[in-house]
Amino acid sequence: MTGLLARSNPLLLLAWAALAMVAAVAVRDLLTGVVMLALVVGIGLVVLPGRSGPRLRYLVVLLAALSTGWSTWLVGDRDLVVAVTAGLRVSVLALPGVALAPLVDPSELADQLAQRLKLPARGVIAVTAALQRIDLMAETWRQVSRTRRARGGGPGRGPVSQLRHLGSVSFAVLVATMRQATAMATAMDARGFDGADRRSWAELGPWRRSDTALLVLGVVLTILPYVLWWSR
Amino acid sequence: MVDMHTSTSTRTHETTRRTSLFRWRTVDLVSVAMLGVAIGLVFWGWSQLYHVISAVATVAFPPIAGLLTGPWLLGGVVGALVVRKPGAAMATEVVAASVEALLGNGWGLSNLVVGAIQGAGVEIVLAVLLFHRFGVLAAMAAAAASAVLGGLYSWAFYYTDWAAAAVVAYLALFVVSGVLTSGLLGWLLVRGLARTGVLDAFEVGRELADRQAA
Repeated sequence: MTGLLARSNPLLLLAWAALAMVAAVAVRDLLTGVVMLALVVGIGLVVLPGRSGPRLRYLVVLLAALSTGWSTWLVGDRDLVVAVTAGLRVSVLALPGVALAPLVDPSELADQLAQRLKLPARGVIAVTAALQRIDLMAETWRQVSRTRRARGGGPGRGPVSQLRHLGSVSFAVLVATMRQATAMATAMDARGFDGADRRSWAELGPWRRSDTALLVLGVVLTILPYVLWWSR
Repeated sequence: MVDMHTSTSTRTHETTRRTSLFRWRTVDLVSVAMLGVAIGLVFWGWSQLYHVISAVATVAFPPIAGLLTGPWLLGGVVGALVVRKPGAAMATEVVAASVEALLGNGWGLSNLVVGAIQGAGVEIVLAVLLFHRFGVLAAMAAAAASAVLGGLYSWAFYYTDWAAAAVVAYLALFVVSGVLTSGLLGWLLVRGLARTGVLDAFEVGRELADRQAA
């Protein structure tokens, strides 16, 4: 546990998750699958910080892998090796992205996307602003739900009633969200957001040498299953 | 008098429409972002349920998973129906998928790629319709294309070794579920939003106001 990734650039985290998907495509036989999953787990243990998000999320990946493996056995050729390989492929695909997701700081990522990758600034800022409203949206949800209940409009026990309640509260939250969006846009334009040609930014987080090294490692690990695949 | 008013305003819409199809106003950007985040919350809630429900539901007949995946196309459909510009579907779906991944689900950051693929399905259909048709049929067709692309992704990564018949059954169920839960429902949702007046800054809201005025 070096926690190397705790200090790394969020773009590296995205790159690793994307590389894992490319690598997963080449997991077509049992040996490749076993080697790749062992590498993913091993490297994860070394580079992930000690505490990084709920552990339950790994269980969900395991569930998805088991479910995919089972279904591949059932509606495939009923071949155990093929089924296990499918489970391994799903793990190689999802595990890195699931492990890394809690390490991504959205506003830091936005800074990197706008300043380093030069993505359109207005779009990136709009998304960052919206992300800051996420707690407010959840709070609106709780308030609307509580108000409905207090006025006797809460759901009954049946699933249909529950579903209807869920739908009507979601709709109310969407209405509130769109009303905020319009107000926010007006406020932003009043401050010259639309026509600005120069913007000030938060100081950009660095792209370190360790990020480059980890990126190279990721690329090598992505090529590996293709080499294993073609060498058979 | 009423007639004159309607015809002038329709003409104005036509001109604004042609000049501004590729120009995003601030309210377009912010609305896509806010819709993306709100729908991402819904996606996240659904993903928590899905992981359990699908594991149980697919024990006997795995292609049934397709029936459960339809709601995930909602972001693209709703984003495009509200903002009506190239890229709106893609942006809304990707933002929603990112929020879902950041809150934590079983697919992690691969969600971003899935979101882009599903958003592309909606974009393709709307581009074929020259970003000129946003009715219920267009919404359902967009959802169907989105489902096909999303289903092909699942086939490439998850269900690669399924028998062909099972893959086809999965794709068909995904399309049915997507057309109903994202296409039809998304269209109804946007119409409902327009009726409350919160979409008055958009063409969809103005259209409704015009029709009510007439």
